[in-house]
Amino acid sequence: MNQRTLPAWLWAAVVCLLLAHNVYLWIGQRLAPDSDILALLPVEERDPVLQKAFSKMVESAEQRLIVLVGADNWVEAGRAADNYLAVLAPHKNLLQADEQIAQQPQQDWLALFQQHRLVLVTPGDEAALRSQAQPYWVDTALAKLYSPFGGVKPGAWGDDPFGLFGEWIQARMRETPVRPRDGRLFVSDGKRQYVVLPFSLHVSAFSMAAQEALVPLLEQARQAARQSDPQVEVAAAGVILYAAAAGAQAKWEVSIIGIGSLLGIVSLIWLTFYSLKPIVLIMVSIGVGCLGALSMCWLLFERIHLLTLVFGASLIGGAQDYGTYFLCHRLGTDRQSLDSYQLLRRLLPALALALVTTVIGYLALALTPFPGLRQMAVFSALGLIFAWLTVVFWFPALVSRDAVKSAPLVRWCFASLQRWPSLRLTRSTLSAAGLLIAFIVFGGSRLTVQDDIRLLQNPPRQLIDEQIKLSRLLDAPAPAQFYVVRGETAEAVLQREEALKQRLEPLIEKKIISGYQAMSNWVPSLRTQETHRQLIEQRLLNNDGALAVLAARIGADGSWMTATRDRLMASAEKLTPDDFLKASASQLVRHLWLGQVEGGHASIVGLRGVSAASLPLLRQAGGALEGVQWVDKVGEISSVLARYRQYMGWVVALSYFAVYGLLYPRYRGATWRVVAPTALASVVTLALLGLSGQGLQLFHVLALMLLLGVGVDYGIFLHEHPSRSDPVAWLAVVLSALSTLLSFGLLGLSKTPALQAFGVTMLVGTGSVWFLTPCFARVSLERRSGDQGEEQKFHREEARQTKIF
Amino acid sequence: MKALWAGSLILAALALVAAAPVAKIQSMLAKPKILCGRFEQSKQLVGLKKPVNSNGRFCVVADKGVLWRTLRPFPNTLKLTRDEIVQLRGERVALRLDAKQEPVVRMINSVLFALLAGDLEQLEKLFEIDGVAQDKSWSVTLKAREPGLAKAIGSIALDGGVYVKNIVISEASGDRTDIVFSAIQTGDGAMSADEAALF
Repeated sequence: MNQRTLPAWLWAAVVCLLLAHNVYLWIGQRLAPDSDILALLPVEERDPVLQKAFSKMVESAEQRLIVLVGADNWVEAGRAADNYLAVLAPHKNLLQADEQIAQQPQQDWLALFQQHRLVLVTPGDEAALRSQAQPYWVDTALAKLYSPFGGVKPGAWGDDPFGLFGEWIQARMRETPVRPRDGRLFVSDGKRQYVVLPFSLHVSAFSMAAQEALVPLLEQARQAARQSDPQVEVAAAGVILYAAAAGAQAKWEVSIIGIGSLLGIVSLIWLTFYSLKPIVLIMVSIGVGCLGALSMCWLLFERIHLLTLVFGASLIGGAQDYGTYFLCHRLGTDRQSLDSYQLLRRLLPALALALVTTVIGYLALALTPFPGLRQMAVFSALGLIFAWLTVVFWFPALVSRDAVKSAPLVRWCFASLQRWPSLRLTRSTLSAAGLLIAFIVFGGSRLTVQDDIRLLQNPPRQLIDEQIKLSRLLDAPAPAQFYVVRGETAEAVLQREEALKQRLEPLIEKKIISGYQAMSNWVPSLRTQETHRQLIEQRLLNNDGALAVLAARIGADGSWMTATRDRLMASAEKLTPDDFLKASASQLVRHLWLGQVEGGHASIVGLRGVSAASLPLLRQAGGALEGVQWVDKVGEISSVLARYRQYMGWVVALSYFAVYGLLYPRYRGATWRVVAPTALASVVTLALLGLSGQGLQLFHVLALMLLLGVGVDYGIFLHEHPSRSDPVAWLAVVLSALSTLLSFGLLGLSKTPALQAFGVTMLVGTGSVWFLTPCFARVSLERRSGDQGEEQKFHREEARQTKIF
Repeated sequence: MKALWAGSLILAALALVAAAPVAKIQSMLAKPKILCGRFEQSKQLVGLKKPVNSNGRFCVVADKGVLWRTLRPFPNTLKLTRDEIVQLRGERVALRLDAKQEPVVRMINSVLFALLAGDLEQLEKLFEIDGVAQDKSWSVTLKAREPGLAKAIGSIALDGGVYVKNIVISEASGDRTDIVFSAIQTGDGAMSADEAALF
């Protein structure tokens, strides 16, 4: 081990550590990539209460799976549901049907409210208590009395003679269209009868093992349900289904991109060098890059998202650049004059600049508030750094003077560069430039923007259809749009909820929304409970009130009236949120109550029947109310996407200046030639997006950032060797561009719209840079003598730099 | 072995005895397409010594539903069809329950229809039926099979001959309803013009 090989040995030690860590992660820790789609969404850092509200809404859905089994008649639906359940019954370790909801007798959950009968009144009846005269209430009570089956009757007639409590119970039942029927849960759309089967998951929705076990099982159950009658309809919805679909898709894409890129690169290197050793060397650098990225990412984030791996697979194309660059130069350099260490020293400035510009491109992605994107950026940057370090530390030691030989591809490269058009003041250049400008202006003028949240995920159509069907049938509250209500005490929160509900009532009447879910539906504020008690006492129960008249009409004596009034008054006990939450009846709304939070108490008011058209009205309804905040997670993410699209647009523009500044000391007056091809390629890409009618989105802009890093590398590589008769740098650029095109082209096939946008932008952009860079390259000395001064300066500069390294 | 044989014979006999009235009662009952008549209802309420009485007319129309018109002391009409329950107070609709939203409507309607028509076969799906049948009369008591329903409805007693004569509903809450039917007519002429208009 001499001084020259010491760094190589040290790096070998580092790589051994990485290997050990990876073995530990994959085998010891059974590392499973994360498939949580929400991990991609921006975090709400500003407000912990909002974050808690959202995660509560999510959690209540995460570990659940809801299945509808429908048929033309109830008996058939029941039979199909039994078949469905029979398949899943042996797998109680995975999931379990929630049966108790359907089988719990109504009386049980009524019991809690019985002792609070007098204070539980619907808003409609409260208004009637204020406005309707005595005869109305007497008639109501008598109609209930004489009718043999007078609607919902929670107890004896005398317990609720005016039907106020019965009405309240019915209003609570109307909060969901799901009904217990023959020991099952029932819902209908008027045509078909559905059995509702709620399941609790006993495994994490994001565990890939769980997904792999559950999805085929559910399919099997679906088959079983439809066995007796193919008309039977099964619809399922649950976070785990989305996660499983995303996971399966991502796994497929990781392998396609990974294997595709690897095969492409292997064949490229084979065609270039006609030998096995360069392939092994390049694979080693890519491999160390991947190991390093995985290890460091795990240490930094403690998890790896699947989409990170998909995106990371495109890293293969980028990581091979440095190794290729080195090998190409080994090929082109006179064997006698320089050994591999000397060669590295000469190449190091260009290699370093190339790495720094690319890493800058990736790190700009890390500036966004999307955790998934941050992870992808860090993963890629780390991968590049580790691959780069491998080239720098190992290649000089491993690549001997005559390790590589020339092959036909090199000769083709050489020939192609000779024929490549170059930028000169000629008619053809000017007309080409004119055409290009017209194209850019025309395309650019047609460019639109697109900030839809659906960019982040694209689940299979069938899943979405079933989800829509389920939410429509179950009239489920919107998971991403709701109000957060805050107050110093629980009572204040309930009072504010009531104020908000008053604003929502007109929207329900106009059928803009179908209803709301709120804690105060079940537990009115103490103030409202007191109002109810007073109203009933004054209007109905006092000595000349409706009860007295009623007693006379049914021929009851004074003692009946006293006894009835006393019994009613005894049920005027105040109901508190704490008591309610302890009861099983609160199951439906428990997730709405955030309880004690920072600075007081908070709750969620959920909305049913929300449509896109209702959103502005809902925002307006919640506005100006103290302590009420409208939350629209979908709108929020879309606006974050829009904001960052603009913000990152500026970052890209400024980065060009930063890169220019970074390169200026080395390339001086020729710096513009290094940067311009990439800038022009970006503009061309934008124009193409405009022409193809694709809305510009954040992910296009981010890809342009990345293009800056990758594209400028080509400029750097070519400008290190300004002579057109020297094909070495051009060879490196060709190999690098081909592999980048391959990697990102494959990423362009991704079903995740964001990654697809990334891939397509990189494909078009890299292709353009590849074409444009030689055009902008300085024409060699023998062809252009006018620029000699600059040229000599450049060579002096290069000599100086080489000495430094 | 012998004991077992004897035991199962007794069981079978018991089953025969229990099953017999339903079939026998079914054979005794007339099953007209339209059946109308008068009813006298007497409610005994918890805490109230005197019963609360009312009377009126009712119609049961096969495949259509039930019309229950209280005339005295308080005009009130209840119409139960396959798809809804409508309560009319005078001309005004006081209550409307849609079977699409409330599946329980269909159950109430089928039970009520079966009660008034004496359709024990239908009732047997939901209730345990216990009773006796003689030559020309019969009586049964019904107990809901589902505990939740039993708690809500309590128990129901029926008796009659060719038609149902009396219904007694004893609610779990303590309220009790006695209904006596009389002046029963069948056939197309049974329903008055204004009753027919209500369907």
